[in-house]
Amino acid sequence: MTTTRRRFLTVMGGATLTAGTRLATVPAFAQAAGPVKIGVLAIRAGIAAPVGAAGLRGTEWWAERTNKAGGILGRQLQLVVEEESNPKDTVERYRKLVLQDKVEVVIGGISTGVTLALGPVAEDLATPWLSWDGTTQKGVEETMPSPKWAFKSVDNEVEAIVAGMLTPKYFKGIKTVAGIGNDYSYGHDCWETYQAVLRRYIPDVKFVLELFPKLGVTDFTSHIASIQQSKADLLMCSFWSGDATIIMKQAAAVGLFKQMKGVFTTAGGVHDSLKKEFTPEGLLLGYNTMYFADPKGSPLLKQFVGDYKTKYNEYPPYECDHAYFNAESYKQAVEKAARGGKQWPDKAAVVKALEGIEVESLSGKRSWREDHVQMCNFYQGITTHKNGYDFVTIDPIEVVSTKQAMKPAGSKLMDWIKGWKV
Amino acid sequence: MQKIFNLACGSFYALGAYVGVSAVAAFTAAGGPPWLFVVPLAVAGLCVGVVGVVVERGLLRFVYGRDETFQLLLTFALVLMLEDVIRIVWGTSPRSTAGLYLAYGQVRLLGATVPVYNLIVIAASLAIALAIGWLLTRTAFGRIMRATADNREMAEALGVDMGRVYVRVFTLGTALGTLGGALVIPATAAMSEMGIELIVEAFAVVVIGGLGSMRGAFVGALVVGILRAVAISVLPEIEMLLIYLIVIGVLVLRPHGLFGAVPA
Repeated sequence: MTTTRRRFLTVMGGATLTAGTRLATVPAFAQAAGPVKIGVLAIRAGIAAPVGAAGLRGTEWWAERTNKAGGILGRQLQLVVEEESNPKDTVERYRKLVLQDKVEVVIGGISTGVTLALGPVAEDLATPWLSWDGTTQKGVEETMPSPKWAFKSVDNEVEAIVAGMLTPKYFKGIKTVAGIGNDYSYGHDCWETYQAVLRRYIPDVKFVLELFPKLGVTDFTSHIASIQQSKADLLMCSFWSGDATIIMKQAAAVGLFKQMKGVFTTAGGVHDSLKKEFTPEGLLLGYNTMYFADPKGSPLLKQFVGDYKTKYNEYPPYECDHAYFNAESYKQAVEKAARGGKQWPDKAAVVKALEGIEVESLSGKRSWREDHVQMCNFYQGITTHKNGYDFVTIDPIEVVSTKQAMKPAGSKLMDWIKGWKV
Repeated sequence: MQKIFNLACGSFYALGAYVGVSAVAAFTAAGGPPWLFVVPLAVAGLCVGVVGVVVERGLLRFVYGRDETFQLLLTFALVLMLEDVIRIVWGTSPRSTAGLYLAYGQVRLLGATVPVYNLIVIAASLAIALAIGWLLTRTAFGRIMRATADNREMAEALGVDMGRVYVRVFTLGTALGTLGGALVIPATAAMSEMGIELIVEAFAVVVIGGLGSMRGAFVGALVVGILRAVAISVLPEIEMLLIYLIVIGVLVLRPHGLFGAVPA
């Protein structure tokens, strides 16, 4: 697609050009000075709306900063935001972004169901798509075996793998484990993977109970009673939204974690709602790929956390980092593909440049593996009340790379885990 | 009584929960003692029920005579709009009342630890059920309500101002929903989509108990609640299956529910 056919329907973001002055007959060189359109797909409603909001905020912060610093190859950025909802409608909006808005790249996508539907469309439309999140092992293996245009998120199971590795280190003598997760692919996959990993470290461990309440349940008193009855040594929970907060509160009310240890692989997604009053010290808590209070964090992270807190009165969760990384890697890939020149590279050249690229993200260095999968660090640790917030943080902080905790390109997850030398 | 299928009842519950969180936060910030938090919570929950007046007078009264599909569409639109309103006002993150759940401590009951607040909510629910029973059976307004439910035209012919009855009944229902949302909040967290979850469960309760029956709703709620709890303990996989099997059973064998009136 050439820039001479670009139509400027709406002018948003940092674009400062005068509308209507650059139409079809303007020479290609002048076109290159127009804004770069970047399509963004973000969930705006339902249980994952906070995750979508965090991704969008991370992208907006990046765009504002990049525009202030002169944009990409001298062109300002213009975000064209569309909603991620169900697979069918989101596919339509994806097509609109590429065919009508003529964006150079689409970033975003959280829900597994939606991203699995987007993959083949991204391939058809030959425009790079960088996914924030939401691609489980099974789905990816089946529908996006070797994509050319789609760039996939970290495997969903990584946090369960990291938690499985850290469980024997922090909780000695665990013999029985109960599990609770949401009743859809993420919850089931995490539980299955956590069991496989833990069996490698503690071969005689017994999994005595598994519960899968629906997404959106707000009362877990019966589940907690059942967990208590199981008399497990440890509870593994992969909740990632408000239900993590709720189960924590309802568990505290009956003293569940006085009776057993707790592993919350993903609750760091709602970290600032895990108030000290009901979240005990000594749980293993996962923050996915970014820990906002990392004392070893870069100046970039500290500035982002400060700006985020000032603007939204919240502390940022990991999805901001997925989003920042996607956008920043795109920028650097365009610059790399331009080879120091000012000529805008074509999309295929940008995709080539993205493969293997490593950039500085909020959480530190992150990269795209050659097979289009994100590589980064995962942050988990033991909850503590010793901080200046009204919610828990973690200390010590364990940082585990996807090089260690994500299956290598081309391998099968369970075979890979079985092949570990523990 | 209004012969209207209101999907937005869950949204009123969510609204009550959010307003409850804000009221308690304001009360605590103003230096209110933690043990008194249940007062601003309940008052806020009841007060926000006035939204019922706006919804009934502003929207529902135009669709009473219409096809049920219109009513469903209208109240479903309300569900989506209220979800957005909540998101605009309170943001997208779950909101909760921090540690107040245990402000009244815990007790040991039959070998289990139970937060005293749960007992307060159970007591409040029973008190509300008794009060509604008294209102329906022992007061003039209750008789008018029952008469209207039985035969709208006859009640109107006898001089009942239907508009006033409807707005009162709907507001009362809304206030019970918002109060419920507020009272449950110390034990859970407010999420913008919490209303939708409730509608599905409320549907099962109403089908089992019988449409339009207060006693039916009470018994239906107990049946659904106890069955879910037992299923989770015994065989978690069948939790929802069991409830909907019973719903199907009731629909087939006793289509008007356990206590629903059989139309003449």
